[in-house]
Amino acid sequence: MQQRRELDQVYTNRKLLNGQLDTPKWWLPTVSILGVVVLIGVVVIATMINKGLGVTGLARPVYWGLFITTFVFWVGISHAGIMISAILRLTQAEWRRPVTRAAELLTVFSLLTALVFPLIHAGRPWRIAYWIMPYDVARGIYPNIRSPLIMDPVAISTYLTGSTLFLYIALLPDLGNLRDRTTGWKNAMYTVLALGWRGNPRQWKMQTVGGILLSALMLPIFVSVHSIVSWDFAIAAAVEGWHSTIFAPYFVIGAVHSGVSAVVTMMALMRWLWKWDDFIRPEHFDALARLLIVVATGWLAFTFLELTFALYGQDAPEIALREMQMFQWPWNALFITFFLTAYLIPVPMWLFKRVRTNIALMFWTSILVNVGMWLERFLIIVPGLARRTPFVYTWEAYRPSPVEWTIFIWSFAWVTFLMLLFSRFFPLVPLFEAKESQVFTDDVMIGRAKVPAIVREAD
Amino acid sequence: MTTSILGLFQQPEPAADAMDGLKEAGFELGTFDVLTGTPYPEGAFGEHVPQHRLFRFPAFGAIIGFTLSVFLTSVTQLAYPMVTGGKPILSIFAMLIIMYEMTMLAGVIATVIGIIFESRLPNMKPGIYDTRITEGWIGVVITFDDESKVADAESVLNKAGALEIKHA
Amino acid sequence: MTNEAVAHESDHHAPPPNVAADVVARELVATTTGASGRFKAWTWILGILSVVGIAALIVKFIDQGDDSTKWGYVAAMVSFLLSVAGGAPMVAMAPVMAKANWVRPITRIASLFSFAGIATLIMLIPLVAILPPLVTEGARRRTIWYMAPDYSPHIWSTLGLVLLLLTGIMLFYSAALPDFASMRDHSTGWRQRLGKRLARGWVGTDVQWRTLRMRIGMFGTFYFLILVFVNFLISTDFGQSMVPGWRDAIFPMYHTVSGFQAGVAGVVIALYFSRKYMKLEKYIHLDAFWSLGRLLFALTLLWIYFFYSSFIVFWYGRSMNDIATLDLLIKGPMIYAFFAGMILLWFVPWWILIWNKVRRGTGAMVVGSFVILLGLLIDRIRTFVPAWSVPPENIHQKWLQEIPATVWPDVFDILIMAGGISLVAFTVMMMTRVIPVLSVWQVQEFNLLAKPIRYIKGHATLVAKPD
Repeated sequence: MQQRRELDQVYTNRKLLNGQLDTPKWWLPTVSILGVVVLIGVVVIATMINKGLGVTGLARPVYWGLFITTFVFWVGISHAGIMISAILRLTQAEWRRPVTRAAELLTVFSLLTALVFPLIHAGRPWRIAYWIMPYDVARGIYPNIRSPLIMDPVAISTYLTGSTLFLYIALLPDLGNLRDRTTGWKNAMYTVLALGWRGNPRQWKMQTVGGILLSALMLPIFVSVHSIVSWDFAIAAAVEGWHSTIFAPYFVIGAVHSGVSAVVTMMALMRWLWKWDDFIRPEHFDALARLLIVVATGWLAFTFLELTFALYGQDAPEIALREMQMFQWPWNALFITFFLTAYLIPVPMWLFKRVRTNIALMFWTSILVNVGMWLERFLIIVPGLARRTPFVYTWEAYRPSPVEWTIFIWSFAWVTFLMLLFSRFFPLVPLFEAKESQVFTDDVMIGRAKVPAIVREAD
Repeated sequence: MTTSILGLFQQPEPAADAMDGLKEAGFELGTFDVLTGTPYPEGAFGEHVPQHRLFRFPAFGAIIGFTLSVFLTSVTQLAYPMVTGGKPILSIFAMLIIMYEMTMLAGVIATVIGIIFESRLPNMKPGIYDTRITEGWIGVVITFDDESKVADAESVLNKAGALEIKHA
Repeated sequence: MTNEAVAHESDHHAPPPNVAADVVARELVATTTGASGRFKAWTWILGILSVVGIAALIVKFIDQGDDSTKWGYVAAMVSFLLSVAGGAPMVAMAPVMAKANWVRPITRIASLFSFAGIATLIMLIPLVAILPPLVTEGARRRTIWYMAPDYSPHIWSTLGLVLLLLTGIMLFYSAALPDFASMRDHSTGWRQRLGKRLARGWVGTDVQWRTLRMRIGMFGTFYFLILVFVNFLISTDFGQSMVPGWRDAIFPMYHTVSGFQAGVAGVVIALYFSRKYMKLEKYIHLDAFWSLGRLLFALTLLWIYFFYSSFIVFWYGRSMNDIATLDLLIKGPMIYAFFAGMILLWFVPWWILIWNKVRRGTGAMVVGSFVILLGLLIDRIRTFVPAWSVPPENIHQKWLQEIPATVWPDVFDILIMAGGISLVAFTVMMMTRVIPVLSVWQVQEFNLLAKPIRYIKGHATLVAKPD
């Protein structure tokens, strides 16, 4: 439960602004190394665009491989932000406070990264112009809105725009704080960005009411995004294993599973790197792990339904596909790894409070989950395409090429790079939330017991 | 000529006393305000609770977004009527998805505009302020139309225990 | 500016003070006695309707027991009753999961619905007898029971429902122990004797409280898991698998989620009536309605989400079984029921519950809940009646080649449905004579944990969050 800890605001400012006001020693070397990896990735992407998709392992009939898997993976990670920020805000969960900013940030950067994959995977990204926008009015040709490949960018850009604005609005009070702590060009920058924030009741009220309202609006968008991504697959009756009605909620809950795990990974890193032991505490990991147990088990139920109803039709091709997916080499190895890492290892571990409050263990188990969830997406997308079916006249086994792996690694470096860059200028833990938590929590004495309590405003 | 003063307090209680004192001294609600570095429960300082019309913004945005989306999804399909997948040209169930997203997007954008507008931002001349407010101090700011009442306000602030009074 | 400010300032009022613990115990125990004339009249009416319904069920079984196509409405009723009576106790689970304080006083009323599971079970009995076997003439129909022995659905669904009923009652009982002790201490006559017997020596030692909390947590978790599983069984065995080619992986979840929706709606209705007619305004705060309203709103949105997720896949799929499924369940014999369900389960409640003002009141909330229950009944009819109207000889087809005509309810069906619904209301009403409709100890705990305070100059509530 929430242990109250008295922290004075000067201390809070100094600790939580340590990334902006003085740069940690490790920052520059880390960012430089990541920068190099990012650069290599960019060069590889440029080469691929120049040479064509022949440098990848994609070939008939597997055209959706590592790129699309990673796209789905990052869209999944992006579900962390709104899950933590919106749902926990609406349910007034006190422990959300130190986590919200990082989660929202993860949403924005992982979406930015996800968007890259469908673009480069198209081979000639500039042709996207005809596919999505701008509308080619001159020739009277318009995108086909009946295609999920149009719905998808619409949903993702809605989510990206909304999340970015959400992030900015919640950043306003902290920008005011940074303005007060800086001088020179930084002060000028924060002054402009803070828009003249002063912290009067009207502005605070807009923060709370607006935050709740935005959460309520972002929540349905959050659900729709991964649902629409899932329909990229589910509405296609032709590929075995894809045409399932459960895909939308199945993808969403899987995304929440991986997204919240990614937040755990990030929180552990934040605690270690910036030494925020006073703010990101074991009880936050405990609460997140409890949430993860519920989410993961819900996800397991959906996995069970997905499998059950795949076999339910008793169609020979579908059964053959599932057999391949689960029992044939190398898919079986992937499947077992996926199942172990996404559920069987981490969740039983989280049942113990000692694990939930052990940050190193939480860090590693949360990484395991994301290994598993990436594999899950791979196993959903690729086997259905890879299985040899009648009337396919050319057929090659899919093996991702080094180019694909490099771009895959680039995506991780890129997200981390963006995060660290952001952390240089903006606080990763919302200061005003940390302080608000001080105002809104108290201890009450019930008999002789000291019980943590929360102040709820009267109607 | 409007002028304003800012009384600074380190604890919320004396700041709330100052707010009460100002009310008793006959200052009109709305001419004084409290500045804090963190949100406090509404009414904690006996401050006037700001009225807002934020909830109109998303509704307004959603209506615009919906209208645009209806136009976009139907007109473009009619302008380039190519049948795909055996679906009708105006496939309402596919259109619904785009309409939904655009409605929500416009709703979110309008809300954000609403939050900024209702916060009375951007305000590049925010007036009298002290950077210690973001360090936990509490500011009580009073705006005057005529300067004759400045002394009254100062005495109220001092009586409540203001650590410092700034003038602008 | 100033006027606005002044007008709004008066909105800030102090929350009502807490009621003393002994007053809570006496007043709530007293609600079990002294039923009003109106209460008695209604229990008579509902009791008679229930008996007539059960009689109609028996007569229908004797008369039409050999024709499965005529049992759609009874199947819909099983599903509907499972949703309401099974879903409602989930509200009693919420404090365990979320440690929410508002839910404490109202968990009892939610768990009383567990007893109504008896109605579901009664309706299921003839249906199990009529459900076609897995294997007919050597051919096995498509079900979730791939290689399981014949009659697996019959056995497991019945067992599941019985288990749900028992777990629900255990959940109720494990949370009711301290209240039986209150009955023992503050009641007279048979209620006191019953209290004494069921309280099992409860005096409220530390160990007893610990065990109580553990039991509630345990039975709550079991209940949740069993409920989801029973929803899965009933929705596939008594719905989906009756139609060749209907393969909808989300349907069990759709069934469960709409079950929760109906359960919450049922709790709102029960709360409304007990608050109004048992004069419990002091204990059932508007806060509870507000929170339930938000929950109901969220579930209403989930309903449309699950529906659309399934629909869009069928609509795009356009394979023969996709088309046949849409024809049977939506476009064909049930088109009007489909639209009615859509309007009543989603559109109307959505539009009612979206307003914060509505959620902070009781009147519109109860209207919304009735609309949801009506909508759910229609939606269950929309899915189960056409499923059962498929002739058993067509059950082995690859997909449904001939869409059956609309089946209208006969006199029996109407009596059975009226009886089933009455039996739920009757059971819940009768249970309020046995035990206080609000949990005495949880109201006391609520008061202990939430205290109105002055926060500097403002009013607030301080809510303690113990582990």
